[in-house]
Order: sequence, then structure tokens, then C-alpha cells
Amino acid sequence: MSIRFTTLVFSTLFASLFASVVCAGTSPVYTVEEIPMPPSKHQSMQIDGMDFMSDGRLAVCLPSGEVFLYEPATTNWQLFAEGLHNPLGLIAVSTNELVISQRPELTRVRDTDGDGKADDFEVVTDQFGMSGNYHEFHFTPVSDRAGGYYFALGTGSSGDGIRAIVRGKFEPRARPGRMHASTPYRGCIVHYSADGTTRPFAYGLRTPNGLGADLDGNLFVTDNQGDWVGSSKLFHVQDGHFYGHAASLVWKPGFKGEPLKTPANDLAKMRSRACVIFPHGTMANSPTKVIAIPPEAKVGPFTGQLLVGEMNKGRIIRVMLERVGGELQGACVPFFDGGELRTGCNRMAWAPDGSLYVGHSKHTWAGNEGLQRVHWNGEMPFEIQDMKLTEDGFRLRFTKPVDKAIAAKPATWPFNRYYYEYHVSYGSKPYDNGEVPVRSVTISEDGLEVTIALKELKAWYLHEVVVNGLKAADGTPLANDRIAYTLNRLLKDTPPEPLQTGK
Amino acid sequence: MIDIYRVVSFVVFVGFMGCVGPAGFTAEPPTKAELEHGKKLYAAAGSCIACHMPDGKGQPNSIPPLAGSEWLNDTDRSIAISLRGLAGPVKVNGERFYSAMPPQLLFNDAELASILTYVNFAWGNDKQAGEIVTEAEVAKARAALPPEVYTPKTLLKAFPFKEKDIARRNGTYSFDVDDTELEFDTPVVYRTFMPGASPAAFAVALPGNQFYCWDAGESRLRYVWTKGGFIKGNKRHWSSNGKTVARFNGEPYYRARSSLVQAEDEELLTKTDNKLPIYDTTEAPDFPFELKGVDATSSRPRFLGYRLVDGYPVFRVGVGEHEIREQIRALTSEEGAGIERRFEVEPPVALTLKLTPDAKSKLNTSAGTIAADGSLALSAKQAAAFTVTILEREETPEPGPATEPAPAKTKGGAK
Repeated sequence: MSIRFTTLVFSTLFASLFASVVCAGTSPVYTVEEIPMPPSKHQSMQIDGMDFMSDGRLAVCLPSGEVFLYEPATTNWQLFAEGLHNPLGLIAVSTNELVISQRPELTRVRDTDGDGKADDFEVVTDQFGMSGNYHEFHFTPVSDRAGGYYFALGTGSSGDGIRAIVRGKFEPRARPGRMHASTPYRGCIVHYSADGTTRPFAYGLRTPNGLGADLDGNLFVTDNQGDWVGSSKLFHVQDGHFYGHAASLVWKPGFKGEPLKTPANDLAKMRSRACVIFPHGTMANSPTKVIAIPPEAKVGPFTGQLLVGEMNKGRIIRVMLERVGGELQGACVPFFDGGELRTGCNRMAWAPDGSLYVGHSKHTWAGNEGLQRVHWNGEMPFEIQDMKLTEDGFRLRFTKPVDKAIAAKPATWPFNRYYYEYHVSYGSKPYDNGEVPVRSVTISEDGLEVTIALKELKAWYLHEVVVNGLKAADGTPLANDRIAYTLNRLLKDTPPEPLQTGK
Repeated sequence: MIDIYRVVSFVVFVGFMGCVGPAGFTAEPPTKAELEHGKKLYAAAGSCIACHMPDGKGQPNSIPPLAGSEWLNDTDRSIAISLRGLAGPVKVNGERFYSAMPPQLLFNDAELASILTYVNFAWGNDKQAGEIVTEAEVAKARAALPPEVYTPKTLLKAFPFKEKDIARRNGTYSFDVDDTELEFDTPVVYRTFMPGASPAAFAVALPGNQFYCWDAGESRLRYVWTKGGFIKGNKRHWSSNGKTVARFNGEPYYRARSSLVQAEDEELLTKTDNKLPIYDTTEAPDFPFELKGVDATSSRPRFLGYRLVDGYPVFRVGVGEHEIREQIRALTSEEGAGIERRFEVEPPVALTLKLTPDAKSKLNTSAGTIAADGSLALSAKQAAAFTVTILEREETPEPGPATEPAPAKTKGGAK
């Protein structure tokens, strides 16, 4: 225990030292505080799932399989359940009932006798497979608002093989490859319906660590860079769609081929594009949970947007979407970035007081431990509030009036555009990288909107800008200056989707 | 600040070069431009910096440092790690880390050579590394190395540490984490990977030192043991990336029949690196209950979950319209020690339960008679609630190592 604690203190210290010297992105209007960790019997210090109950208690699950309840008012932790298998997400259904994604099942965990400890572990569904490969994670249940649930199943990794006995129908066509899907619905978003049926809902995911819904009930999931995933992505999850990772196609009705023998060009024609691509390295390497910013959240004027956690940096990304040509697309910008916020931002939940709780984990990858709370002091940060596509560029809305002299300079807006290739090998470089000259800058009279006309807008390319030296009219520097818009469709005359494939 | 630190270390390094030059360094040192190029790639999107950090110090417990790492003293080894990855427990300069580094496939031969050259000279690494890595070396390794991700064991077999003192501080290590506590006063339930079961397994410890594995993938008890304590490796299973299959000392005294597994397959049941399975649970033939009037082919058993009664799991299995419940408790009687399996069937139905007779155990029941082949036929009335006891058959104790617990094996997925 003491060793673990020292590590935590050390890393906190390290992070804060870091913060004082690196110009971190978190606006000073937000503070990060430590929440004491639950008294895990196994000294488990990572948070893999969290949700608030209606009575204000926070439920968390740990890698050790323990589930604890936290009362913020008293800072009291209470053990609720134990013995689960790698739980990676939970939903607080009521004050005595949780629905938990664990390796083998979606499980309803209830305290039926009122003693504060769970005594009933009921299978909601186990109608999906497990090859026993370590990488076959079961991530983050999301309510379908009709008594059912969506959840995300990771693929297996070539970092190891499979077990001698596998659960569910073994499918040899999806066994080869870097990431495999040899048992049912690996690499899929699965829907369990209240009528008791379980079926694959969407296909083509690799490591979908983080389902979430927006305020309108649209479902989203992140995926991690790797084979078939040129850079990490956010998908708008829709029934029957295929998002690019080939292995899970064997679970798509009507697909007869072998995923790895199917030409990339054919796969590219089947796939649905990400609504947001996270530039690798600079934005996110391993995005995690998606949560919407509800009206009750106290973080600033961002209601309806999404937050996405990131493992490799102490970062939570803000995502703003719009519907263009019938599909969602939009931009991502770091929001809480560095400073006291540790890496491994794996799970998030809104507290009843509107603050954001962040659970950290790492397993064996980059990341960290512990539980933190991000709290807003109510003052307006200087941030890009929103980014919208125009016919010939973008309109950026700011939370405060901009310094018009700086904003008016084209050099403030050094746009770049590029795309990531769709191919079987691990990750992609940016291709066809080029600067996009600014034609004109128009600033609204109130100084809140800057409309930038570009010399060229290229559909199916990321458009990224690191805003150069912008300040608010009151002198506040822009907290987060890097924003990337995934430009799939133009407002009009979108050219046909290019394949952008490679080997 | 970081940049200043780097510049300072670079200046120090250049100064150092000017004076003596690192040991074993024969070729021309890399130019400043070459090092800057490598540094840029090191810090580029998605590369080394994300985990190993700008100062090369890595992250406590998980990501090993590059700064000062004695692992860098063999360029071929460094190239191999970069190209194929390295996963498992490693000791670096005496510190323990457990992580999985993926192969670095975003870089071509020249880029990787440039990064490795930078790493070999950054942060004072010229002392133990200090070698320029060439594009040709990387290209050669890329074509020649086996395709698998390295474990520390396989890597060090190919690229051992030559100096004894360095080998002591660096290498791999065994987890000594162990769940083989000796006494339990309440039941302990873990869901984890267990040998000889589907991946959806339970490991349960009972007061009275009886331990069993129940397989939710096939809705049945798999085996029971008592000697040697409970499982080990479970903590490692969840505290790392989830690869580890738990192990236990000693041998089960009761093992339910697995018709699709031959004796020679036994070893495969603990392994995680099989290419193909022996079987999948949709074709598992050994569910032990046959219910009268329920077609076993169309009504496969469904695992419904479990309830805790005094901390004891009561497993629930649905078959057709019926629910079978099983609770297992430790039992000590005049005849010996073992377990009592308490069954309930609702609504009751005439059934046959197929037990597995074994020389190591004695079977008994509260209702009906167990036939020589292990089958127990019960009327609906009997089936409503009945018990089966399984007692370990005491053998004449033999002196020697057979009673000693086997040493903990930590294969960590290595072949």
C-alpha cells in the first residue's frame, strides 16, 4: 500500500512540476483536485468504470473486480461488490443496482436485501464470444433508453494467441491478422434489447474503449489507432454500419469473404467514415470514454458537445459536431490538458454538483492511477467554443471577444490539411500534407465569431490549425490553440468519397 | 524547460565528446543535424515520446526508461525491440516494469535508425550505448527477425546481456504475487481465467479449504481441489493486461468429464497462445443434466448468473423452462473432506445427472443411487432439492516431493 501511495504522490508531484513549466492547455478557471481512492483489498488504484447514482453517490469499478460506492459529502467509500472479471464500465440504474460490462458478460449487480452489498449477479447477456485473448475487452455499457444496452467488444491481439476452449462459435476466417475477431461480435458494437435478443449492431471496430451518447441519444464510440485505423477516431454508431477494421466483418450478415483477403479498396467502399479523426500524437493516441456535456454540467458554455478522454496525455478533448450532407462531422480541441490532470483519463462522470470526475487507469499501457475531480470557478475561460464549416472555410466562435487586431491577421490561422491512409498495417502517416492559405478573415462586431475563408477546402481531409498567438480582447491567451476539423462533406458539391487506401 | 534540459544535456554531451569520447565508440559521432532529426522523430506524432516521455525517463512501474537504460548496450537488441515490440515483465537497471510495447511500424528503416541513434546518444546514453544505427542494420533486422512480439525471455535468448553485473540488474522477473492464502473464513469468488475451462470461469475458495472452478461458458462445475491452497496469478491477471491464466498448486481430486479433451491436450488447457481452439462451447457436449421432456439439442443450458447466500455463490442455469441452482459448500464428515453440492430444480422435473467417477474421489447423494458410470437418475420429486457429495479419497501418503507444492510457474505467454 505504502509503495503504491508513494508512486501516486510522486506522479502527482511530477505532473504538477511539469505543469509549472509547460504551457498546459487547461484554462486557469478549472482546478483539479484529488479524490482519495477506495480501500481496495488488492491495492487496486485504477478506475475502469464510473457513474453517479441518483442519491449522489459515485459507483466505480476497479481492475481487481471490486466495485465501490463513494459519498462525496463524507468522502466515505463502501465496498459494493467484488470478484468481477476486468469490469470496464458501469451504469448506475438505481441506488441498489448497477449494470456492469465485464469480460464474460453484461451483468446486473444488485443489493436485494438492503445491507449495502450486492448479493445478486444476474446475466443481462453473455451472448457473445471470448477466445480468451487478453485484448478482448468488454467496454462501457450505454443505455438504449428502452430497457436495453449497447456495449463495445474489443478484438483479440496478435500479442498472444487464444485459449484451448473458447466461448461462442469459433470463426476461423477472423482468426488471422494483427487484431482478430474469431468469436462472435468481437470488434462490434453489440445491442442487447429489452426483449432479450443480443445482436451485433455495428461492425469494424478495433479497440472501442468508450461508447457514449450525445444529448439527442446519438451513439458514439472511439477507436484506437492500429491496423486499419490510420489515426484514432470517433464514430457515430449507426445500425449495420461498418467502420473499417476488417476482422469483425465475419459477423456481418451477408459478408461471405475472408477479411484479410478482401482488397482494401473493396473494404473502403463498405466503410463509414469517422465523424472526427483525432490527429495522432498531437491530439490523441488512445481515446477513451465519450460523454456529453449536459445543461447541468458546470464547465462553461459547451452544452451538447462531447468530451473524450485520452490515455497517453493528461487530456480530455472537447468535440463539437454538426450535420453536413446528412452526416455528423466536426472538430476536436484539447480542453482539460496537462497541469494537475494526470494521464490515463479512462473514464468520466458528471457529479450532481456539475463538476467532472475523472478515473485514471493504465493496465500495461501509458496511463496513470487514481481519481480526480475537475471543478470550474465560474469565470469564463477563453476557448474556441465552436467550429462550423462555411462554404469556403470555417467559422470559429469564441467564449470571449477576440483581440480583433490579432484575429484579423491571416498569419494567426495557419491551416494545414492532410488525410490518413486506410490500410491493414499499423497506423498511418499524414498524407498529402499541405498548408491552406487564408483568403480573408472576417470578425463579427461583437468579436465572438471569426470567419476564415480559405483558398481551398478539400473534402475527405482533416483541416487542422494551431491558432497563432490569439488573445481575447481582455488579453487572456487562448487556452487551447490546436483544433482539427474532420472535413468529410462540404456544404455543397461534395466530390465522391476517395478510397485513400494503401498497404 | 524540457527543451532547455535537452539542450543542456546535448551541450554537456558535446563537451564530453570533445574531451574523451565514449568507450567502444569507433565510428564518427553523429552530427548535430542527425541527432536533431532523430529527436524530432522521437517526439513526432505517435512515437516514442508518448510513453517514454520527453526526458526519456519513462513512467513508474509501467514504461521503462530509455535514459540510462542498460538494455541499450546492444544495438541489435534495440532494433529488435523497436521492430517487433516487447511485452512482459522487465527489469531495467534494477527497477521492475510491466508493460507491452507495440512494434513501431510507423517508421521506415532510415527513420527508425535515426530515432535509435538519437536515443543512443541522448540523456548521457553515449556511455552505455553510443552507437550510430544505420538504415541497413534496421532493414536487415526487419527482414530477418521472427515476426512475433518479443517477450523478455525470447528477446534475451536472442540478445543476452554479456556482462554478469548488467545481467543481474536487467532482464525479466517472476511475479511473486500469490492468492494461495491458506485459510478462508468466508467464501472468495473471483471471475478470472482458469486452466481447463472456458474463458468465462469462476475460481471459488470455500471456508474449509476447498477450492473449485465453475465454468460459466458451459454452465457446469469443472474441478475441485484442496491441497496447495487457492489460485495464484489472479492479481497479475488483472493488474497487467489480462493475459495470465491463474494456476494452483496440487491436483484436482474431482474433474468433471471433458469428452473433447484428450489426456495429451491437458497442457494446452493452461496456455493462451494457441492458434486454434480444441473446441468452442457451442459444441460442448458435457453439460451434466438431462431433463425429461427437454430436448438437449434445442435447449442448450443458459448461464443466468449467481446469487450470494452467506457469501456462497448459488449458480443459476436455465434449461428450457427449468432453472437449476447449485450451491457448493465444504464438507467434513467421518468419511473425509470434500464438497457438498446442493441442487434445486424449479419447476421440478425428472432428470439424470451425469457425474464423473474417479479413483481420487468418492461420490454420494441424498436421493437415488449413483450408477457405476456416474449417472444419477432422479424423479421430479427427488430432483426438487437434493445434494451430491464429493469427498477426496485419501491415498496412502507417499514420502517425497509429490506432496510439495509445485514452484510457481510464470510463463507469461512465452513458448
